[in-house]
Amino acid sequence: MKEFVNTNDILDFAIGNEQDAVDFYLTLASEASSEGMRKAFEEIAGEEIKHKARLVEIKERGIFNMPVEKVADLKIGDYLVSDPVHAGMSYQQALIVAMKREKAAFKLYSALAEKAPNADLKSIFMALAVEESKHKLRFELEYDEHVLSEN
Amino acid sequence: MALLDQDVKYLKFKTYLPCYCPHCKKTFNVEKRDVKYLNFTGVYEGADVDVKISPYLNVFEQESSIPLKEGDLFEDLKCPSCNKSLVNPDIVCGDCGSPVGEVILSAYSRLIPFFSCLKVGCEWHGLTRADERHIKIKIPRQEMPEQDQKLRIQTYQEVPYGYTTELASLEAGRCLQCKNPKCVEGCPVNVDIPGFIKCIREDDFDGAAKVVKEKNVLPAICGRVCPQENQCEEKCILGIKTKPVAIGNLERFVADWERKMDLVKIPIIKTKLNKRIAVVGSGPSGLTVAADMLQYGYSVTMYEAFHEAGGVLVYGIPEFRLPKSIVNFEINYLRELGLRFEMNHVIGKILTIDELLEHFDAVFIGVGAGLPKFMNIPGEALGNVFSANEYLTRMNLMKAYLFPEYDTPKPRGTKVAVIGGGNVAMDCARTAIRTGASDVTIVYRRSRQELPARHEEVRHAEEEGIKFRLLTNPVQYLGTDGNMVKGIECIKMKLGEPDASGRRSPVPIEGSNIVLPVDLVVVAIGNGSNPIIFQTTPNLNRNKWGNIEVNQQTNETSIPYVYAGGDIVTGSATVIEAMGAGRIAANAMHKKLSAKTKKTTNSN
Repeated sequence: MKEFVNTNDILDFAIGNEQDAVDFYLTLASEASSEGMRKAFEEIAGEEIKHKARLVEIKERGIFNMPVEKVADLKIGDYLVSDPVHAGMSYQQALIVAMKREKAAFKLYSALAEKAPNADLKSIFMALAVEESKHKLRFELEYDEHVLSEN
Repeated sequence: MALLDQDVKYLKFKTYLPCYCPHCKKTFNVEKRDVKYLNFTGVYEGADVDVKISPYLNVFEQESSIPLKEGDLFEDLKCPSCNKSLVNPDIVCGDCGSPVGEVILSAYSRLIPFFSCLKVGCEWHGLTRADERHIKIKIPRQEMPEQDQKLRIQTYQEVPYGYTTELASLEAGRCLQCKNPKCVEGCPVNVDIPGFIKCIREDDFDGAAKVVKEKNVLPAICGRVCPQENQCEEKCILGIKTKPVAIGNLERFVADWERKMDLVKIPIIKTKLNKRIAVVGSGPSGLTVAADMLQYGYSVTMYEAFHEAGGVLVYGIPEFRLPKSIVNFEINYLRELGLRFEMNHVIGKILTIDELLEHFDAVFIGVGAGLPKFMNIPGEALGNVFSANEYLTRMNLMKAYLFPEYDTPKPRGTKVAVIGGGNVAMDCARTAIRTGASDVTIVYRRSRQELPARHEEVRHAEEEGIKFRLLTNPVQYLGTDGNMVKGIECIKMKLGEPDASGRRSPVPIEGSNIVLPVDLVVVAIGNGSNPIIFQTTPNLNRNKWGNIEVNQQTNETSIPYVYAGGDIVTGSATVIEAMGAGRIAANAMHKKLSAKTKKTTNSN
């Protein structure tokens, strides 16, 4: 696991992760099978850009007192099988991938928080984990409403 | 005039009306506002005499061309309209052996907009006409008679029998005939609901059917499968204090009555336009577009992927909920109206939309939501895990329920689980119990309150012995060595904290996993749009869920002269909503094509 010396290291890592997500969704958008899907993926990429911008702002301003909120976990993605990412995947498949990505990020930050050498770093990791769980919840709610509409 | 004795025949009265108070079960006192007496021609000593009989049961009034009193006898009574005898001479008095005439005064059914009860103590006792409005509210909603709960699971015959004329009259009598009827607003095709109910009250059932058909070309179908409780009936003012008028049941009644009486007439289309319309899909939206465009005078060809027309009405909804004979009747009506069918045509494969546009002036796409959704949990590829679409298509369209008469084997299971809580899930579960399954369970992730199925369908399912495992979610299917499903691992759910909108989403209870032994699973969690049509028409705009994007005012798609409506636009919705979308498209199509013709004519 990567070693973090200070909060800027953490934030650079998180910013890099968000940029990966932006690239991921923009790739999906470029390979989308319809205009509607392309827009949807671009919207998700846009949200990831906002997440990144927020982290950049935190880093630049030096504001590290991010609140740790309690976020609902519907655990929908936990039980689903994720298909390999491919061009022309359906929006349902894309949502599953997105939920699993956000969950993985949540788990990563939670693990980093566990191993953090001091309380400050721990709280930042925990706050980042919360951010990721919020992103996951957004996908879970959409999945809940549209895919599981009769379940 | 002779007095009653045992050597002459006498008359007794019988009514087909529910002749008891629904509250205390004692006989009604029947009145009518305008008519106090029934006029009959009585035959007395070989001669006709005019006689007036009070609508009060079993009471003779002394108003006739000759003096009368209770117990007076007639040799016969004739219908004042057709002059035929109203007496049934084949009946003999059980006490004395005298021939007994039994008069069926069906005329009573026309006399009952108002009731009071004779029994002292009943809350309807002593009511007067001034209480009429009050009483209307107190008349309970008339439920349709239904097949016995235990016997019906041995057949696929339709469960409700429908209203009798008397029940329909009684139910129609509950309507307040609002001047500003909210029910019409609640109907996606704006049927004149008070108008057709008024006709029922006046016994003009033919007229009632005509009023309904002005706006709804499939009333017998809508009356059966539309969720009126969320549409027209939800808006009924009567529903504020008691149950709303059973508009759907009445709609079904008039459509059935018209069909049974063979009064359906094919309208003569006076104008013939030299323009051709292609309709893709023969479900409710396509049928509505076809009917409307045919009546405008267009030549209409309908393309259907299956070998039988009707779309979800024939492949999806089971016989016991919507008899195929009714769908076929409606489709034959359109065929006689001039609709041309091309069966076994998968548009997107056999012909593309662009190719259709080369031969037709406009195209309507109403292909429905035919792509089943799966949960994407492990084990979904095991044998005997069906989508609801496949299960119901085998059972309904391919007529597995008539095996071996039809050569489609029934997907058979003794312990069946149906995943989902919508109407389709109820249809699957009720079908499964009819195939002989000993144990059928609905597995639903949320609580009873959130079940999306109609209340009536849930009730029918429960009556038929279907079990409900609520707040339970499958997490994986378990298979045998032969890769057939043998169980479902489920996790118990609880409703989480309300979110900002107040909605409580279900969340799993960790460690609460259970295994349900099953040998057949039907996944009925909803349907999405089928992508076939888009593979050859990529310029047809659709949203991220694959539904076609249309102009909301016209239902025209991103391709000019190509329209769409129904589930392919909205996702799974109701029959009547699909019909409403079809009507919008037909109107817009006609307007645009008419304007084009005018422009062409002017430029020539």
